Amino acid sequence: MTMLGRVDLRDDPRRARPDVVMVGIVAVLTALGLILIYSASAPRLRLVGDDPNGQMIRQLIFVAIGIAAMIGTSLITDRSWRMVTPLIFAGVILLLLATITPLGVERQGAQRWIPFGVMDLQPSELAKPAVILALAVLLTPENEIGVSWRRIGKAAALVALPAALIFMQPDFGTMLVFGFITVVMLFMAGTTTRQLMILLVGGLLVMVAIIELDLLRDYQLARIIGFLNPGSDPLSVNYNQIQSQITIGNGGLFGSGLFQGAQTNLAFVPAQSTDFIFTALAEQLGFLGATVVLALYTVLIWRMLAVSVAARDKFAQLVAGGIAAMFAFHVFVNVGMTLGLLPVTGLPLPFMSFGGSFYLGTAVSVGIVNSIWMNRSPVPGDRRLASL
Amino acid sequence: MIASWRQTTVGTLVTAMMVVLLLRLWYLQVTDVEDSLEVAAAQQIRTVSIEAPRGDIFDRDGRFLMAGTIASMRVVVDRQLISLEEEESVLIPNLATLLAIPAAEIVAEFELRGSGARFPIGGEVSNSTALFVLENIGHFPGVSVEPVPVRVYPLTETAAHVIGYIGAPGSSDLEAGASPSDRVGKFGIERSYEEYLAGTPGAITYRVNAHGDILGVLEERPPQPGGSLITTLDLTLQRVTEETLTQAIALARQVGEDEVIRAAAVILDVTDGSVLAMASVPAFDPSAFSTGRISVDDWEAMQEKAVQNNFAIQGRYPPGSSFKTIVYALARQHSIAPVNEEEHEGRVDASDPTSYFCDGQLEFEATPLLNDWKPGGHGLVNLGQSLHQSCNLYYWSIALRIWEQRAELGEDRLQQWARLLGFGSQTGIDLPFEADGLVPDRTWFQRHQQQQTGVVRPEGGWAAGDVMNIATGQGALVVTPLQMAVAYAALVNGGTVWEPRVVQSVRDSQNNVIYTHVASAAGTIEISEDTIADLKRDLNGVVNSTFGTARRAFEGFCDTGVPDSECAALREVGGKTGTAEIRQALGEDGPDIDTAWFVGVAPLSSPRYVVAVVIDQGGSGGLVAAPAARRIFQYLMGETPDPLRRGDDTER
Repeated sequence: MTMLGRVDLRDDPRRARPDVVMVGIVAVLTALGLILIYSASAPRLRLVGDDPNGQMIRQLIFVAIGIAAMIGTSLITDRSWRMVTPLIFAGVILLLLATITPLGVERQGAQRWIPFGVMDLQPSELAKPAVILALAVLLTPENEIGVSWRRIGKAAALVALPAALIFMQPDFGTMLVFGFITVVMLFMAGTTTRQLMILLVGGLLVMVAIIELDLLRDYQLARIIGFLNPGSDPLSVNYNQIQSQITIGNGGLFGSGLFQGAQTNLAFVPAQSTDFIFTALAEQLGFLGATVVLALYTVLIWRMLAVSVAARDKFAQLVAGGIAAMFAFHVFVNVGMTLGLLPVTGLPLPFMSFGGSFYLGTAVSVGIVNSIWMNRSPVPGDRRLASL
Repeated sequence: MIASWRQTTVGTLVTAMMVVLLLRLWYLQVTDVEDSLEVAAAQQIRTVSIEAPRGDIFDRDGRFLMAGTIASMRVVVDRQLISLEEEESVLIPNLATLLAIPAAEIVAEFELRGSGARFPIGGEVSNSTALFVLENIGHFPGVSVEPVPVRVYPLTETAAHVIGYIGAPGSSDLEAGASPSDRVGKFGIERSYEEYLAGTPGAITYRVNAHGDILGVLEERPPQPGGSLITTLDLTLQRVTEETLTQAIALARQVGEDEVIRAAAVILDVTDGSVLAMASVPAFDPSAFSTGRISVDDWEAMQEKAVQNNFAIQGRYPPGSSFKTIVYALARQHSIAPVNEEEHEGRVDASDPTSYFCDGQLEFEATPLLNDWKPGGHGLVNLGQSLHQSCNLYYWSIALRIWEQRAELGEDRLQQWARLLGFGSQTGIDLPFEADGLVPDRTWFQRHQQQQTGVVRPEGGWAAGDVMNIATGQGALVVTPLQMAVAYAALVNGGTVWEPRVVQSVRDSQNNVIYTHVASAAGTIEISEDTIADLKRDLNGVVNSTFGTARRAFEGFCDTGVPDSECAALREVGGKTGTAEIRQALGEDGPDIDTAWFVGVAPLSSPRYVVAVVIDQGGSGGLVAAPAARRIFQYLMGETPDPLRRGDDTER
C-alpha cells in the first residue's frame, strides 16, 4: 500500500517539489564560485596572453554537466538508488582501478585522472557518493537494534577497498573524507557512544601507523610538519598557507571588492582558483562575505540533515546524513586549511573550487538528497496522504 | 528509522566546526589585519636601484681629464628574480658559454655580490649578443642587457695620481651606506670629491606578482648624475711635466744613477695656491681599477714600485740644499749673519755683515772636519753668493749663529720659520693621503731618540749640529715636493702660505656651479719687499751667474741662437738646486744614493709659477733635477722646451 502510494507521488510531478532551499543555496554558491574563479584566474591568463575568461568558461561547462546530472539523479527514486548501489559501487571500484593502470594519467605528481572527453574524470570524486550509498545499504539490516561489531567490521572493510585505491593515487585528503563519512554514518546507524569512542581511537591509531610506517609521500609529510611548525620554511612547504592567510587578512572586514584583490590579482596564493578559492572570496568580499558563505554552507548541511530526518526509510536517512557529513567535512577541512588551522590536504571547496569531476560528484550527491526529499515519508496532514 | 537526535547531534557538531572557522576568520581579517596588510604590500613591490652616472673631471680650460661615463652594453643579472636552482642549473652554465668566462669565476662573482644583488657581469657585449640573450631569455633567467655606465680614462696615465681611481667600497664606505656593488672613489680627486662625483642613485619601484613578473611601474626616480669637477690643472702643462719627468729618469740613468726610482713634480700658482700640474712618474692607468679586474701580477708589480702612490704629496724626502732658500730668507729678513772662523776674520769684507770666507772645511766640536761638497770651498761669499753656489759652510755658520744666540732668538728659530712656511704638517690640499713631513726639534728628538735609532742619534742631546743639519736640509728633516712648492710660493708672493687646491669648482648635471673654491691661506709669514727682491735676484743667480749650481743646466734657455746674455726669459727664472743625502737613513755603510731637487720660481718680475721637481735617487740636483725644471720653465716662459741634457754635478 505505502509502496504504491509513493509510486503515485512520484508519478505526480506537481506534488514532487525539489528542495528549493537546498537547490537555491547550491545555485548561489555555484554562481559565486564562477565569479571567484574568474577573479582568481583572469589576471594570470591575461598576463600570458590567454583568454582571461578561459578557466571560468571551462567551469561553466562543468556546471552545465553537473546540473544535468543533478536533475537526472533527482528523478531516480531512492529505492531505485538502493537497487543499483552494488552496480555503482562495482563501477566506481573499476574506475579507481583504471586510474592506476596505463589508462590513468598523472597530474602534478598524482595519478588520479582518466581522460574522458571534455574533462579528465577523477573517479575518487564519484567514489564519495558511491561509498555513501554502499555504506547505507550495509548499515540498513532488517531486525537489528544498534550496530553490531561484526557490521562495523563489514563497513570498515567496504570502505577500505576504495580508500586503499585512493591512497595509492595518492590522495590523502579524500581518504580522510571516507573516514569521516564512515564514522558519521555509523553514528547515525545507531552505534553506542562506547563503540564510537573505540572507533575514533582506532582511527587515530591508523593515522599514526600510516605516518610511522612511512606510507605518506614526502610532500604530504612535509605539509603536516610544516603545519605543525608554521614559519619554518616560508618559501616552500608553508608558502601556500602563509600566503593564504596574508591574502585572507588583506580582505579585512569588508573586503577589497570584487576583482580588486591585490593578492589574488597578483597570484600570490598557489591554486587560488581550485583548492584555495576561499582566499579569493575572503580577500575580495571580506569577513562579511566569507561569513555569509559559511552560513550558507551551514544552512545547506542542516537542510540535508533535515532531509535525513524526513526520509522514508533508514537507507535514505543514512544516505542523506552521509552526504551532509561529506559536505561538512569538505568545507571544514578546506576552509580550515586556508585559515592555517589544518594542514594542506588538497580537498576542494564544494560548488566553488574549479574542477569538473568534483563538481559532478557534488551535483550527483545533491541530486540524490533531492531525490530522497522528493520521495520522503508522508507527513501527517499532508494533502498527498489524503488522496490515498 | 533513525532517532532524530542523532541528526541534531551531527548538525550541532557541524555548526560548532563552522564557528571555529569564523573565529579564526575574525582573527585574520579583523584582529590581525594590520600585519597581513603590511606583509602583502611589501611583497607586491620590488625596487631596483639605478646607478647614477659619475661626474666628469676637466682641466682648467674645460678639457676632459677623463672622458666621463660611457654607457656600455652589459649583461646584468638580478638575483632577486631567480632561484638558486635556476642559477646553478641554467643561468651560470649558459652565461659561462655566452660570455666565455669560466663558470667558477661567475660563481665567485655571484658570491661576492651577495644574494639578491643586481650587477653587471662580463665585459661589453655586442648588439648581436644582446639580441641573442633577449630572444633566448628562457635560457637566461633574471638577465637583462642594459647600458651600464663605465668610467673611462682616455688619457690613461696622464694626471692619474691627481684624478685617482674608483673601486669596490671598503668597510668604512660600507658603514657610510655604500652597497657592495657600488664603486667608490679610492684615490685622488675620485676619493676626495666622492660626495660631488657620486651623484644619487635612482630607483624604479615595480609592482610584481608572485612569479616576479613586472606588472607595472609604481614609481620611477631617475638617478641624479654626479657633479663635474673643474680642476686647476693645465692639461698641456701636465703633459709637459710628465714627459719631462720621464726624460729626467732616463737622464739619471744616463749619468750613471742606476738606482733612480721615480720622479715627482708640482707646479703651483703662487698667486692663489692652485696646482697647475702635479705628477708622479711612473704612473698607472686608472681604468685598470674601474673596468674589469686588475690581474694579481699587475697589482703586485704596481705595489712593488708603489706606482699608485702620489709622491708629489706622499713622498717624504730630505730637501737638501733646496732648503737653503728657506734659511736664506730667515737670515735676510732677520739679519742673522754667519759666524766666521777666527782664522778667516781678516779676509771678510768688513762692510758686509753677510760676508763669509769659505775654505771648504769646518772644524766643529768633537766631530771630524765637516767638508763642503766643493773641495777647497767657495772662497769669499756673501749671502747671495752662498745661495748661488750652495755653500754648505755658510749655512752651517748661520745655524751656529742661531745656536749661539739661542737665548735671544730661541733655539728653534729656524724650525719655527719652517713651520710657518708649512713644513712639518699637511698643506691641506684636497687630495687624500698627504704626508706630514717632519721638522725636528729638541722635543721631537727626545721623544724619538729611544725609538728610532736608525734616524735619531742614539746618544747625546739636541745640539748645534742638529740645527746645522736642518740648515742644509739634512738630518731628520723631511718634506714633500708640495710643501716645498708652497713654501717657495710664500717666500716670493709676499708671505701667503696657501692651502693648495686641485679643484676650483664643481658643476651639477644642469651645469649650475654648486661649489667654488676660494683661495685660502693656511697662514702668513712676515717678509719684507727687500728680502723678496734679494731672494729673487739670488735665485736667478743660481741659474744665471757664473758659479751658479744650475748654471750649466739653464745654459741656452732661450731659443737657438739667442745668447744667454740676451735671453730675457732667463732673467725671469730662478731657483735652487738640492742634493739630499739619504746615506744616513740607509745606514753608514749604505750606498751613496742622493735625491735630486730643484725648486724654482718664474717670472721673477711678477711671480706666478713655482716648480718643484724631485728625482728620487736621481743623484745631484744640478745634474739631473735642474735640467728637468729648466724644460718645464722653458714651456712656462714660452720658449721651446729642449730635450733634457745634463747639468753640473754639484752638492755632493
